[in-house]
Amino acid sequence: MMAILAATAQGGAMAGDVEWGAYLAAECTTCHRRDGSADGIPAITGWPEAGFVAALRAYRGGARSSQTMQTVARGLDDGDIAALAAYFATYPPAAD
Amino acid sequence: MELKRRGFLGVALVGASVLAAPAVLGSGRPRVVVVGGGSGGATAARHLAMQSGGAIDVTLVEPSRTYYTCYFSNLALGGVWSFDDLGHSYANLAAVHGINVVHDWAVGVDRDARTVTLAGGGVLPWDRLVLSPGIDFVDGAVPGWDVAAQGRMPHAYKGGTQAALLAAQVEGMREGGVFAMVAPPNPYRCPPGPYERISMVAHVLTQRNPTAKILLVDPKESFSKQALFEEGWQRHYPGMIERIDPLFGADNVSVDPEAMTVDIDGVIEQVDVCNVIPAQKAGRIAEVAGLTNDAGWVPVDPHTMKARADEAVFVLGDASQQGDMPKSGYSANSQAKVAVNVIRHELLDTRLFPARYSNTCWSLIAPDDGVKVGAAYDATDEKIATRDSFISQTGEDTDLRAATFAESIGWYRGITADMFG
Ligand SMILES: Cc1cc2nc3c(=O)[nH]c(=O)nc-3n(C[C@H](O)[C@H](O)[C@H](O)COP(=O)(O)OP(=O)(O)OC[C@H]3O[C@@H](n4cnc5c(N)ncnc54)[C@H](O)[C@@H]3O)c2cc1C
Ligand code: HEC
Repeated sequence: MMAILAATAQGGAMAGDVEWGAYLAAECTTCHRRDGSADGIPAITGWPEAGFVAALRAYRGGARSSQTMQTVARGLDDGDIAALAAYFATYPPAAD
Repeated sequence: MELKRRGFLGVALVGASVLAAPAVLGSGRPRVVVVGGGSGGATAARHLAMQSGGAIDVTLVEPSRTYYTCYFSNLALGGVWSFDDLGHSYANLAAVHGINVVHDWAVGVDRDARTVTLAGGGVLPWDRLVLSPGIDFVDGAVPGWDVAAQGRMPHAYKGGTQAALLAAQVEGMREGGVFAMVAPPNPYRCPPGPYERISMVAHVLTQRNPTAKILLVDPKESFSKQALFEEGWQRHYPGMIERIDPLFGADNVSVDPEAMTVDIDGVIEQVDVCNVIPAQKAGRIAEVAGLTNDAGWVPVDPHTMKARADEAVFVLGDASQQGDMPKSGYSANSQAKVAVNVIRHELLDTRLFPARYSNTCWSLIAPDDGVKVGAAYDATDEKIATRDSFISQTGEDTDLRAATFAESIGWYRGITADMFG
């Protein structure tokens, strides 16, 4: 929980760089669809930013398993994660 | 890294004004021509159009009206996916994204005049050119085989009807017959592709024709995900697959499509189906443009995907020689996004971000037995270099393998939406 709060605080400080988030997000949309539909890979649009940040930090630290997402997350620093959370929050959640 | 990134972020956004770079723009909108509407080209055209909101005039040149993915074509051969689901239309790229989709072949590139000539006679001017033409086969790579023989001995290594032809031939094999594959030498598109194909053919034969044999003639000593494939073949298809490596003459192979024979270092094998995957090089238009090296590929700048020989030409996907990334649809899609960021920066003065690349290649060994290998990459001056990587392990439990297969379906839906959505 402390980790999540810290990340949110830091994310707040760095948030707003949606353009950087949009550039980074181009990597995600090879797997996660921007329209929020999901079929074998979960939707990541329209999340509250804190939960999104917590999920990526959990992959990065290894608390959540997934070879794929751990490798993605290890390449992201806290500023990157905050930018991505801000970017994907601007898209509506899964339609169905 | 942090400092470098801030340096990039410090580049100010001057807005998407057409007047921002008058030297390039002349009077109208800047023009980008993309040759090849596959993994690299469709991604580049779509993202350029989407991200520039109409400020760039994007033309996509592609002869086919439907793009048939090579990815999942092995699964269709194995009956795990449908051939119809491999086809994707260019309709959204034109109607939703305003891309000028021209169904024709590019036959000439004039890098001084900055034009592309089409087979139909048209001439397209450009400020930036993107080439993503995929591969062509090296002439004479497998003596006895040329493209005229692809009806009898299919390659099934480009999109189109070849994969369905190969599937029909496997289905029509006589009881106890022999399926042979002549595998390609490195480098070639989709390193695990031939071995996923062997797996899917074995799956079909195990069900319909269990006394049939598979002969894999491989000029390489080792291959992608070898331990995973060999473990899976042993488990799912015991005794069916024989691999002949260079120690046993597999680097000295010729074929006779009329007689349906394969000559392996002087030993003649009579076979029923023969899948010849020849050595490869960049799609011909890259050579026509004068950008290829002696090996037949286009060396590119890892930071930008620009051809080393021309600052105004970006070369994506299989045709490029970039370093550590395998030639895959995923790689081409990832490279396209880096090129798009650079092109927008140069034409519209938007922010330039450091290159980042990634790739994952999933393979299916048997239904619900999926494996993967993936990596993240950074650009160095010399090459695109692996930063971090992972690979499935032997002995994994069936739930994890099924989850890996489910993930690959998600990726297929994701990347095709990212190209054609
Ligand atoms: C059996 C098999 C399985 C595969 N599985 C996977 C997988 O699971 N995952 C993965 O990531 N990759 C996979 N691949 C690899 C993947 O298909 C290629 O690496 C990828 O498509 C390369 O993208 P590209 O843009 O370079 O070329 P392509 O996608 O081949 O696109 C090239 C396009 O250019 C067009 N073209 C060529 N010349 C011209 C010209 N002169 N004028 C106009 N248009 C032209 C062609 O018609 C074609 O549409 C597989 C390949 C095979 C063969
Ligand atoms: C190669 C495919 C792939 C790429 C690329 C990818 N992801 Fe994922 N992502 C997955 C998979 C598969 C899962 C589910 C993993 C699991 O089982 O926990 C996932 C899960 C997630 C989750 C948790 C979803 C949930 O419902 O709990 C988030 C958040 C996420 N990804 C964000 C991202 C971001 C941000 C990026 C880009 C920086 C990205 N992903 C890139 C495949 C991918």
